[in-house]
Amino acid sequence: MLAVQGLSRRFGGLHAVADVSFTVPVGQTLGIIGPNGAGKSTLINLVTGHLRPSAGRVEVAGQDLTGARPWTVAKAGVARTFQIVKPFRGMTVRENVAIGLLYGRQGMRRMTAALTAADEVLDRVGLAGKAAATPGELTITDARRLEFAKALALRPRLLLLDEVMAGLRHTEIDPSLELIHRLKAEGMTIIAVEHVMKAILSISDRVLVLHQGRVLTDGAPRDVLSDPRVIEAYLGHRYARREQ
Amino acid sequence: MTSERGEAAAVPGLTRRADAGRDEVPDGGAARHGGKAPPSAASTRSPVTQRAWLPWAVGGLVLAACFGLQSQLYAGQERTVATVFMFVGLAQAWNLIGGYTGYACFGQVVFFGLGGYTTAALMAHAHVSFWLALPASGLLAAIWAALIGLPLLPLKGHYFAVATLGVAEGTREVVTNLPSLTGGGAGISIPTVGADATTGYLGNDGFYVLFLLLAAVSVLVVAIVSASKLGFALRAINQDEDAAASLGVHTTRTKVSVFALSGFLTGLLGAAYGFQQVTIFPARLFDVNFTVLMVIMVIIGGSGTVVGPVIGAAFLQFVSEYLRQHFTEAHPFILGAIVIVAVILLPQGVVSYAGSAWRNRDFSLLDNIRKYRL
Amino acid sequence: MSQFFQATIYGLLQGGLLALIAAGFSLVWGVMNVVNLAHGAFVLVGAYLAWELSRVGVDPFLGMLVAALALFAAGYAIQRLLVNLVVNAPVFITLLLTFGLELLLVNGLILLFSADYRSIRTSYASRSLVLAGDVRVPVGRLLAFAVAIGITLALVALVRRTRTGLAIMATGMDRGAARLMGIRARHVYALTFGIGAAIAGAAGAMVGTVDTFSPADAGRFTLFSFVVAVLGGLGNMYGALLGGLVLGLVEAWGSQYLPGTLVNAVAFAVLVAVLIVRPSGLIGRAHYAARVEV
Repeated sequence: MLAVQGLSRRFGGLHAVADVSFTVPVGQTLGIIGPNGAGKSTLINLVTGHLRPSAGRVEVAGQDLTGARPWTVAKAGVARTFQIVKPFRGMTVRENVAIGLLYGRQGMRRMTAALTAADEVLDRVGLAGKAAATPGELTITDARRLEFAKALALRPRLLLLDEVMAGLRHTEIDPSLELIHRLKAEGMTIIAVEHVMKAILSISDRVLVLHQGRVLTDGAPRDVLSDPRVIEAYLGHRYARREQ
Repeated sequence: MTSERGEAAAVPGLTRRADAGRDEVPDGGAARHGGKAPPSAASTRSPVTQRAWLPWAVGGLVLAACFGLQSQLYAGQERTVATVFMFVGLAQAWNLIGGYTGYACFGQVVFFGLGGYTTAALMAHAHVSFWLALPASGLLAAIWAALIGLPLLPLKGHYFAVATLGVAEGTREVVTNLPSLTGGGAGISIPTVGADATTGYLGNDGFYVLFLLLAAVSVLVVAIVSASKLGFALRAINQDEDAAASLGVHTTRTKVSVFALSGFLTGLLGAAYGFQQVTIFPARLFDVNFTVLMVIMVIIGGSGTVVGPVIGAAFLQFVSEYLRQHFTEAHPFILGAIVIVAVILLPQGVVSYAGSAWRNRDFSLLDNIRKYRL
Repeated sequence: MSQFFQATIYGLLQGGLLALIAAGFSLVWGVMNVVNLAHGAFVLVGAYLAWELSRVGVDPFLGMLVAALALFAAGYAIQRLLVNLVVNAPVFITLLLTFGLELLLVNGLILLFSADYRSIRTSYASRSLVLAGDVRVPVGRLLAFAVAIGITLALVALVRRTRTGLAIMATGMDRGAARLMGIRARHVYALTFGIGAAIAGAAGAMVGTVDTFSPADAGRFTLFSFVVAVLGGLGNMYGALLGGLVLGLVEAWGSQYLPGTLVNAVAFAVLVAVLIVRPSGLIGRAHYAARVEV
């Protein structure tokens, strides 16, 4: 579904992302982890078109999307959630979702139809009762669900999740995990950037580790998480030596 | 998971309800038709507003009333009201780019001036009929809007405002320095009598109707855009441009198109104004005070609404006229004070304030201050 | 050739003054993200204050201090009582508020002083130094230039080396964080606005000594401040200096070689070009992002 080759992005002298390559087959879930500053969010922004790569290639389902603008990427079926949720504050929850239906892959033409269809999407994420509320009235968990709903409204083939579990309590994580598992069962291809290891272990088929903009390693979740290099990257030299 | 148009395999039953083909005015958001259809009231599943024809009927009545009003007015009053119509049109045009999309263009007068000068140049030099010059002026203004929109619309907030102001001032200077085409600083006159006059001067009555029609067109355009998919996209861009883009909205194309539309309407009004004035000067046709008046009218009336700019334009023009007649010397001074007070107490404008006050039964003006103060 | 030198000298002298006029505007915009459309009016208030004082025998360079103090107090009050009320509102609300203020101030000046052009004459200002090649350097302009440079440098020192200056910069970069550090943001904002107004007043006094002025000039001063602030980068005082000099030179050379008032179009073209290509200014680093990220 997604093929990334030699992707790089420089900011002046800083290589935020350097020569990153990986592929994600259809229906698989790739977890991306790495310490802060590793370039995870930059990587997502490069794939979704919010940033232009300095070098490299991005291909989605065979379509070259390198350097494409965000709306082109969205219409190609790539949806993302934002780490800090970005709802449209002056619109209702229903209207927030309708935008994706009107302008995304489905490209619905009529507002009435889109608003009706939005209710179905809200059902899927468990926000059906709040369709007429405004984002300002939502709890943090519901706000995160809205981000999901907006992304799903695009009818995506590839879903990029940017730290959707950040700051949630363990009880709040489980419903989100349940939703992700449901999407997986429907065959969605997912890339999830996460810090919460419980979530990574639960949903990922494979895990990729970024460190200082480069791929450190990638493989099965348990293998990667017990790789001493990964531990060293997160916790530093002394802890890595201790683990050994 | 397949996703064909109109079908969502994971959600059965959707195709039955999709796109019933009815032509209702949809529940398109908080700021539409003067806040008469508040979104939070649409808690039922079907978002069709019951009396969707009501705003249009009211609009039609108002239009008819304005036509009828004409016979009741003296010449001087006719001119005043015609000016009100002109500002209604100008305010609505600015409302499209500044109100709905959130891009405060502080150089809007450049389209007004270009419209006026295109008409003047065509009629004076090429002896074109006014009725041809009018659409040509709108078109030229729209083209200019698209041209400057491409490099300037990526700029945000203050930067966009200042850049457009710079373009307006610069355009005025260029127009002033092309005397063979525009008459330069000495102005240019549209021939209205004699062999050179291609169109008879419309006179007070004629200009009253012309400005009324142009204002009606502006209001209509804004009403249609507001209720449409485009209006939805504009509001999304206004509230969070990044999110809108990642949801598939082609923000560049949308912004430039709306800017061009706004420029077109403004250009038409400039053309009409030029013809009315007969002799025009760059300092007047590109006067930044026009822009400021447009902005104030929209803000005071309610930006991003259909009715707001109409109310704002009418209110401000009448207040200005009244002050001019009764306090000639101090009138701009008092106007300044009014602007300050209005902006502090009602930053969202009269219409939006009325809408949310009615909805929440909360009429406190001080809430605004609490919301925006440091 | 000496015409070119004359124009260059004139451009530099005028540029220093423009830098002073714009410095306060740039500071307020850079720190508070407030575009003060009444800035030109502040300059004029300073000019008229100095003019009134000169009529009772006070030298304008002394009157400048009085104007600065008076405008500091006024600016502090205006910010604390009025502008603070809309700091968190959308962009054009503050623009409209300051525009209303401009209407008040300019028309107040017209009511008090009429729209006639005035100037402040001193015995020494009209003399000129003569350099090689018949190039004249008016003493008045030279003094104003020196004062302008001095005040701008003092402003840089204030901002970088004093506790107050540090507080101002911190609040400009991150108001929330600054408040958490114990900085009183409302007071800092009012100080900043007051300083901006004070500099504008001082600039006005200087303008009065070298040029004629009238309330109608307010808009022009504000517009020039825009250009200089953008050129130099918002909140950057060295940048304001550079921007002022650049604008002064462009205007001086432009009027030599371009017909009529086309030189103004050049100034605006420079403004727009800088905004498109490098919105953070020639040497500036903007606190507030100029571009939409998409």
